[in-house]
Amino acid sequence: MSRILVVEDDERIRLSMRLALEDEGYTVDDVASGEEAVAHFADEPPELVLIDLMLPGMDGFETCRALRKQSTVPVIMVTARSDTHDVVAGLEAGADDYVTKPFVAKELAARIRALLRRSRPTETDATVLTFGDVELEPDAGVVRRGGEEVHCTRTEFRLLCELALNAGKVLSREQLLERVWGYDYFGDGRLVDVHVRRLRIKVEPDPGNPQFILTVRGMGYKLAV
Amino acid sequence: MRARVTAAFAVGAFALSAVLAGITYFTARQSFLNERQTAIQRQAFVNALLVRNSLQASGTQVNQLVDLIDTLPGSVVNWNGQWYATSISVGQSAIPAQEQALVLGGTPATQRFSLDGSVQVVVGVPLPAVHSAYFDVVSLQELAGTLRALAFALAAAALVTTVAGAAVGRWASGRALRPLAGITNAAVAIAGGQLDTRVEAGEDVDLQKLAAAFNRMAGNLQARIEREARFTSDVSHELRSPLTTLSASIGVLEGHRDELDPRAQRALSLLDGDLLRFKRMVDDLLEISRFDAGSAELSIDEVDPGELVRQAVMTTSPIGEDGNRIEPVFPVEVAPGVEGLRLRVDKRRFERVMANLVDNASSYAGGVSRVVVDREPPGTGSAARSIRVIVEDHGPGVQAADRAHLFERFYRGTRSGQRASGEGTGLGLSLVTEHVRLHGGTVRIEDAEGGGARFIVELPLAEPETDGPEVLL
Repeated sequence: MSRILVVEDDERIRLSMRLALEDEGYTVDDVASGEEAVAHFADEPPELVLIDLMLPGMDGFETCRALRKQSTVPVIMVTARSDTHDVVAGLEAGADDYVTKPFVAKELAARIRALLRRSRPTETDATVLTFGDVELEPDAGVVRRGGEEVHCTRTEFRLLCELALNAGKVLSREQLLERVWGYDYFGDGRLVDVHVRRLRIKVEPDPGNPQFILTVRGMGYKLAV
Repeated sequence: MRARVTAAFAVGAFALSAVLAGITYFTARQSFLNERQTAIQRQAFVNALLVRNSLQASGTQVNQLVDLIDTLPGSVVNWNGQWYATSISVGQSAIPAQEQALVLGGTPATQRFSLDGSVQVVVGVPLPAVHSAYFDVVSLQELAGTLRALAFALAAAALVTTVAGAAVGRWASGRALRPLAGITNAAVAIAGGQLDTRVEAGEDVDLQKLAAAFNRMAGNLQARIEREARFTSDVSHELRSPLTTLSASIGVLEGHRDELDPRAQRALSLLDGDLLRFKRMVDDLLEISRFDAGSAELSIDEVDPGELVRQAVMTTSPIGEDGNRIEPVFPVEVAPGVEGLRLRVDKRRFERVMANLVDNASSYAGGVSRVVVDREPPGTGSAARSIRVIVEDHGPGVQAADRAHLFERFYRGTRSGQRASGEGTGLGLSLVTEHVRLHGGTVRIEDAEGGGARFIVELPLAEPETDGPEVLL
C-alpha cells in the first residue's frame, strides 16, 4: 500500500484527510508542521507528500524546498487560493501539482493516483534520446547531463520525455497538460510553464536563453532538433 | 458660473467706462462751450466798441454804418429803432425776442438758439450813448460737430472696454475654475473605480484646502471599500477550512453509502447537494470580492474560439454512468469564419462564464436551446473585431424592464415562482459581467427568434502581436 505523508496544521482537516485517504486504500502518516514533516521524512519515507501551504513556522514553500533538497518524491500542494502568486510559488518550490481547498476527496484521490502512476510515457520504443549534452532514457527513467545523473521529479521527467519524443514538433499547453498531468482542456497552464522553467534550469547551459526547450509564442513548447 | 462671472465683468466694465465716458464728455463739452462763448463775447464787445466809436463821430451816415457792419460778419445793429444787418439771413428776425427785449432794454445778454437746425449764439451789447444796440450772431455748428465726434469716440471706447472686460472676465474665471476641473476629473475617476486617484494641491492657498479635503475623503472611501472587500475575502477564506473537513468527511461517507439505510442515504444526498451549494457560494463570494478589491487578474491563453466554446459546453455537462460526459442536447454552432481565429482569453474565467449562462438557462428557462459562435461584425473575415458567443434558451424571454436588473447581484427577478433545486448563488450573472468586462468585452441580452432569451457575450480579438508563430528564445 502506498504511503502518503499529510502535512496540515488544522487538526480537523488533517483527520478528515486521513480518513478519506485511508478509505481509498492508502497508508497515511500525518504531521502538523513543516519541521515535523522534514524529520519524519527521513524516518519513514512516503511515496507521496501532501503539503498545506499555510503552515505555522516553516511554511509550505520552505517545507517543499527542504524535502526537494533530498528527494524527488511526488509532492502535491494544498492551497487555499488559486491566486497566481501562491500557485506559481508552490510549483517553483518543487511541487508536482496542486489542489485548492476545499477539494473533493475523489478528485484528490484521482490526482494522487495519476501522480503515482506517472513515471514512464505510455508508448515508446526509443531507448536513448539525446540533445546537447543531455541523455534521456525513457524506459529506465534516467536523465544524464555530461555523463552525470540529473535528479528530476516524475513530472519533470515525464514532461521532458514528451518533448523529446516529439522533438521538432510544437506541443500545446493543453496537450502537455493532458499527457503529463491528465488534465482536460481547462487545466492550469501554469503547471506547464513552471515545469518548463524548472527543466531549463536543470538541462540548459543558459536557462535564461534556452537552446533546446523553446517557447513558441501563442502555440506552446517544443524541443529543438 | 463662468457665464455669471463673465457677465459681471462685462457689466462692471460697461458701467465704469460709461460713467467715465459720460463725465469726460460733459466736462469737455462744458469746457469747450464756455471757452468758445467767452471768445465770442469778447469779440462782440470789441465790435460793439467799433460801432459806437463810429456812431459817435458826428454826422455818421447810414451808409457809413452799413460799410462798417459789412466788415463784421454776423452783426446786427439797432440804431434809433432801425435794424441794420450784414447778411440777409441773419437779421432782426433771427434774433430771439427775449434777447432783443433784454438788450434793447439796456442789459447785455448772451443767448444760444437754433436757426434752421443749426446751433447759434447771439451776444447783445446795448450802446445807450448812441441810442444803439449791437448784436453778434455766431454759429456753433463746428463746435457741435467736434463734440459729436468726441461723443462717438467715447462711446466706442466704452464698448471696447466692455468687450475687453467680458474677455478678461472669461479668462479669469477660466483660470480660476481650471483647478476645479482637475477635481471634477478626479471625482469621475473615483466613481469609475480608480479608488487611488488623488488631487494635487497646487500653489493656490484657497484651493489647497479643497484639494486636501477631497484627498482625505477619497482616502477614507478607498480604505472603507478595501476593508469591505477584504472582509468578504477573509470570511470566505475562513469558511474554506471547515468546508474542507466537511468535504473530505462527506466523501468518506459517500464511499460507504451502501452501508447506510435508505433514510441515512437520503440524508447523505442532501448533505452532498448543500455542500456543493455552499462551496459554490464561497467561491463566488471570493471571486466577487476580488473584483471589488480590484485585484482580479487575467491569465491569458491564445485559443481557437470554437474549440474553447465546445470544451466549455462539455464541462457543463454532467458525467454519466460510464464516467464520460453526456453529450449536450443542444447544438453548438461555430460560424465558418471563426475557424482559424485566435482569441486571447483567460480559459478558467471563460469556462465560468459559460457555466453560469448554461446554469442560468437550465434553472430559469427550461434549458439551453443552442449556442452560437460567430464574428462581429459578420462577414469581415480577418477584419473581425470581436468574437460573439450566443446562448439561447427555451424560456419565455426577459422583459426589457428586467434586463438591466438581471445582472445585478442577488437579483432573483420576478420569476421567483420558478425555483429549481440546486439553484445558483444569485451572483452568477454579475460574475459573468465582471469576467467579461475584465477582458474588455460586453454581455447583453436580447430576444431570440422563436421566443426565449438570447445572451450575447462579445470578446475583443486582440491585434496579433506578430505576423505568425515565431520561435522565441
